Amino acid sequence: MSEARGIVGESDLHAYVDGQLDTDRRADVEAWLDAHPQDAERVAGWSVQNERLRDAFSADFASLPTDHGLLQPKRAASLRPLARLARPAIATAAALVLFVSGFAAGRLVPGGAHPPAMPAVTELASEARTAFLIYTSEVRHPVEVGADQQQHLAAWLGKRLDYRLHLPDLSSLGYGLVGGRLVPVGGKPGALLMYQNQEGRRLTMMIGRNDEHRETSFRLDTTGPVRTFYWIDGPIGYAVSAEIPAEQLRAVADECYRQMEAA
Amino acid sequence: MPRGPDNGTGETGSPKESPAGGAVPASFEDALLALVPGLRRYSHSLARSDADGEDLLQDCVETVLARRAQWRGVNLRSWAFTIMTNLYRNRHRAAVRRPTTVIEDAQDVAVPDQTGDPLERARIRAALESLSPENRTTLMLVVVEGYSYQETADILAIPIGTVMSRLSRARHQLAEQLAKDNIVALRRPK
Repeated sequence: MSEARGIVGESDLHAYVDGQLDTDRRADVEAWLDAHPQDAERVAGWSVQNERLRDAFSADFASLPTDHGLLQPKRAASLRPLARLARPAIATAAALVLFVSGFAAGRLVPGGAHPPAMPAVTELASEARTAFLIYTSEVRHPVEVGADQQQHLAAWLGKRLDYRLHLPDLSSLGYGLVGGRLVPVGGKPGALLMYQNQEGRRLTMMIGRNDEHRETSFRLDTTGPVRTFYWIDGPIGYAVSAEIPAEQLRAVADECYRQMEAA
Repeated sequence: MPRGPDNGTGETGSPKESPAGGAVPASFEDALLALVPGLRRYSHSLARSDADGEDLLQDCVETVLARRAQWRGVNLRSWAFTIMTNLYRNRHRAAVRRPTTVIEDAQDVAVPDQTGDPLERARIRAALESLSPENRTTLMLVVVEGYSYQETADILAIPIGTVMSRLSRARHQLAEQLAKDNIVALRRPK
């Protein structure tokens, strides 16, 4: 059997998985794996891991038409100082908390009350993020009802949510309505609205009902790459999600809140 | 060639371009532009989000341009990857000191359209967050970028034995993290 051909070590197993062995050594390792099922299992696991990593990062990062801009120092210089300056200034947790609470208390939340995050509220943010990830990547069927049937969309989703739904107009921020769909939110019928700007960047707004909620709160969830601003207004919860800078997302949430309140 | 681009001198090799300092500007920029897709893939595989990845890419391109006089005319790709690795490590250290840095990428960056499964990428990224920057860069250079162990050792300025031990740790940790997901990846038919 294979034992006579020499010992195969862990480095050989890695090199086998990574395709870094010559033909002879490959044959040695394959013979070894036939005789050592535990090693064969490890190697199979690593291969799957490799594939998942490559799938996750390989396919999508081709050239962009804007890549030329990366090489122009002027563009870089004009864009970046703000971010650079901002880093030390806003990077501490304290500053962030002040920033969010100041924003919430000063501009949005009557009374500035800050109840601790309730499980159902955090769940809304996580559901909103998942819905964003799933639906914004749809190319052909991102929504069930398109923006061309706005009145029908508002009436239909409003009926399922049991409240008069106003579809926010975000054109002042460069986002047009794509449409919406019915989604489960906290185990009940909810709405997901999708918007898109001229560059094709999408954001979603999730609306759900929870009759046990009475307090109002406003939060920013930045646990993942996708940011979510969410707030509870009586029995209705709202969550705006996008993969855009926090301040842009904040502007969107602010606008939505203003319009929802006025409606 | 154990040293990074800023430390070594007199490296020999077969220059693809003219020697350092004498490179024609247009060709340097063209060469760099051709590297952008690979650099972008690497930066996104290291970053916590696509926005962070674009930010890291921008930092890297700027740094390469700023240091072009120090380039010795050999293997621009490896040099750029070395710079990216160092920028990532610096950021990672900074991020550990101040964990709330999510707003720092508040810039208007173009992020490529993605066709892959964003949930899967989010899952992989979450699992990769548990790896040290050393183990993560090693794993990405070998697996995603397809560098040989020796090339990886050169880029990271470490012995090849260290590449192997980092790779081993990275695979072990990543497997543990992904197992916590309770999601079994199915092998695709080839």
